[in-house]
Amino acid sequence: MARIDSDPLTVPVAANSSSDVAGANVDLTAAAGVEEVPPELVAQSMGEYLRVYWRRVRGGDSGVLPVVVGIILVYVAFQIADSKFLGAQNVVNLLEQSSIYMLLAMAEIFALLLGEIDLSTGLVMGLAAVTLAELVQPAGAANCALCPHGLAFPWWLAIIVTLLICMGIGGIQGTMIARFRMPSFIVTLGGLLILEGVSLIVLNGNPVRLGNLQLYDIFWGHFSTMVGWILLAVVVVATGVSWWFRDASRRRRGLVAPPASFTAIKIAAVAVAGVVVVLLCNENRAHFGIIEGVPYLIPIVFAVLFAWTILLQRTRFGRYVYAIGGNPEAARRAGVNLPSIRTWCFVLAALTAGIAGILFASWQVFLTTNIIKSANSYVLLAVAAAVIGGTSLFGGRGKTIHGVLGGIVIGGIYNGLYLLGVQSEWVDVGIALVLLAAGTIDVLSRGGGRPGTT
Amino acid sequence: MTLTQGTLEPVAPGEAAPDVDLTAAAGVAEVPPEILAQSLGEYFRAYWQKLKGGDSGLLPVLVAMVIVAIAFELITPENAFLRPSNLVYIFELSTVYMVLSMGEIVVLLLGELDLSIGAVALMGGVIAYKLIQTPSPNFPWWAAILVSLLCCGVIGGLQGILVARVRIPAFVVTLGGFLFFTGMIVILLGGADTSLGLDPTNPNQAVLYNLEQGNINVVVSWVATGVVVVILGSITWFRAASRRRSGLVAPPASLAAIRIALMAAAAVAVLAICTVNRGGVFATIQGLPWVIPVVLGILGFWTLLLQQTRYGRYVYAIGGNPEAARRAGVSLPWIRTWSFALCSATAGFAGILLGSFYYGQYSSNVGDPGQLVLYSVAAAVIGGTSLFGGRGKAIHGVLGGLLIGAIAYGVSLMNLGTLSIPLEYILPGAVLLLAVLVDVLSRRGARTGKDAARV
Repeated sequence: MARIDSDPLTVPVAANSSSDVAGANVDLTAAAGVEEVPPELVAQSMGEYLRVYWRRVRGGDSGVLPVVVGIILVYVAFQIADSKFLGAQNVVNLLEQSSIYMLLAMAEIFALLLGEIDLSTGLVMGLAAVTLAELVQPAGAANCALCPHGLAFPWWLAIIVTLLICMGIGGIQGTMIARFRMPSFIVTLGGLLILEGVSLIVLNGNPVRLGNLQLYDIFWGHFSTMVGWILLAVVVVATGVSWWFRDASRRRRGLVAPPASFTAIKIAAVAVAGVVVVLLCNENRAHFGIIEGVPYLIPIVFAVLFAWTILLQRTRFGRYVYAIGGNPEAARRAGVNLPSIRTWCFVLAALTAGIAGILFASWQVFLTTNIIKSANSYVLLAVAAAVIGGTSLFGGRGKTIHGVLGGIVIGGIYNGLYLLGVQSEWVDVGIALVLLAAGTIDVLSRGGGRPGTT
Repeated sequence: MTLTQGTLEPVAPGEAAPDVDLTAAAGVAEVPPEILAQSLGEYFRAYWQKLKGGDSGLLPVLVAMVIVAIAFELITPENAFLRPSNLVYIFELSTVYMVLSMGEIVVLLLGELDLSIGAVALMGGVIAYKLIQTPSPNFPWWAAILVSLLCCGVIGGLQGILVARVRIPAFVVTLGGFLFFTGMIVILLGGADTSLGLDPTNPNQAVLYNLEQGNINVVVSWVATGVVVVILGSITWFRAASRRRSGLVAPPASLAAIRIALMAAAAVAVLAICTVNRGGVFATIQGLPWVIPVVLGILGFWTLLLQQTRYGRYVYAIGGNPEAARRAGVSLPWIRTWSFALCSATAGFAGILLGSFYYGQYSSNVGDPGQLVLYSVAAAVIGGTSLFGGRGKAIHGVLGGLLIGAIAYGVSLMNLGTLSIPLEYILPGAVLLLAVLVDVLSRRGARTGKDAARV
């Protein structure tokens, strides 16, 4: 392994050593159509790094830049239109509303990365919500068609059973898609219809109240202000230390790594963002009395984001997912077990949608047939959030963080227009325009749009 | 090429010469064997071979319809499913899905997807209902329909331009269109709770009202049907005869006769069902509903456009293999844009029918745009249209829509209490999955071209 300080041919060797490390996956990466080493990894100083990044953006690989610019534009515009928009009360409200879109978009990304689509996530969420509510009904109180006497599950067992049911649904759909090669659009469309029916059967025509304090707190509960700060400190220190030492150890061993100044800026940015969020969350946001503190759902969303990012970026499973999305035939020839990876992606998508369902149940508290029907309207917005975030519909390009960023855009538009007293019909129009803009940027940044191409 | 000059058998296939390369590009077998059949026995043998080869055409959906009809007749209380009043109602219920689905099929044929047609359909309905309101603008009914279809066509055309010229994925464009026009419907209506009504006693508004609710007088129904059957029958007969005379390939005469007889029998059966009084003791409701000739007219339009015109051949060519079609000189952006425009115009008409089905009351509650789209795609696929492009016909939408309507109504007849609404979702979903499973498994055998199993 080459050492940077002793080797005059720093840059090329660094690139080589990087591909040594990734040796086992070189063919897969190539198969997925990904460039070997992003140029900014090879950059050795801050200025060089930024120059290389800018070249990459101009070359069409803009990453999360458009969506970050989009978030800033949307949020500044709403803040100018109504100064309450970024006030403590509304920011928490906004994060709560966005959390469902974020989770569903993260679910959708598993399917999108494969070049497939999952239309059933909205109703997996709906079914998870009613199942959870029915499972915790106290003995004798439930009017569920399947469990007439009330199961009175403890809240944690109800969550586990609900998530297992969701994974089962994902497994069945995934098997049909992966083993029989039925189009995912149709399988999940049929799945959506069936799940809507099953949810209504479980609900049995009666509204169900989620009468469980722990479950209610998942969405509505919050940490005390002190715990919020401690939690932030722990997260920032843990992230900072792991990033700093990872980059430092790579530099020490002569591997490619971003310059130290860049690592420091990244850590500082995370710390500042965290402090702003915690500050806003710790302000009193109640009309009467005191409600302050970081809502539980923020760490929940971040835990899901963290887990799926590790899974997709750092494990063999994740590399196989990108390989299949890039070129399924090449991945198959490289020895990837396509049916198994594909099935697992749909299982994970359904699991994530199930987590969204638990939040959804906790948010709505009263689950009625109309709530179930409205769950379906989240699917298309989840796809929109993923695409706005930067995930490609053609497979092989996207990250879990895109779902979170896209969810913030969609949640912000919903919340901001609502705050301005705009009627909900205009909100749909606004989101449509943002989605079309995201699609156009996606196409244009890849140099598409030339007439005559098929 | 003049028809009268060709006398030799080999000349016959040459008639399609300008399109041979396109057909090949689309991966379609050159000439279906049953077209070359010269006798009835030979025809059926060829058809059987085609079935065994996995190209089952309309057979699965027809078989499914018979099974559904028999099953519901047996299990509904008092065996009510096949009563004339129910059969007519099922048809009326299904028409919206049929028409929407026929629009969706032309986009599916290209290998694209239009998610916006549910919302565009409601736009079409709202525009037409707005324009026909008294005292103003009080458009005549035909102008209201025309302007509405034109608006929808323009909407589709704009989406088509984004798909065809800018090359944004149709999924994204039409998803945006779906959201955009879902909002626009309410804005156009002037609020979520507003509704637009039609007055059936106003002769101008009554035309729109009667699209689903009105019936043709019994005597007129019989006479008109007779005339139509005679005209279509003679066209079928004389075209086959003229082809035989000119030495071109043509179905055997006995087959043409059987086709005409089947057509007449179907017409007589439909009329016999429709002319029974279905109003009960208190009112007389009988006669052919206006919506039947209207839907058949749209079916005829789309069938002619897709099967008999150059535009139709280009659509199949693009769906089969866009690159090959482009190299053969087809203007892809042009055909794609027009297909989206025509699809949306057709959807607009479905929206007008939807209002009439709900007794001329239009509000944002008459249909859920998302559900309308999903059902129309489901109807097309159940009917036999492929989602991968290049395979499908307008008739698939009609049959698939009818099957979905029959299942939905049959379930509601069964007095299942709280189970009946859930089953209205579950059964179409299950039928859809089954239809695609059959489609996928039947193509498993194919080794080459578009029909080969995907990786």
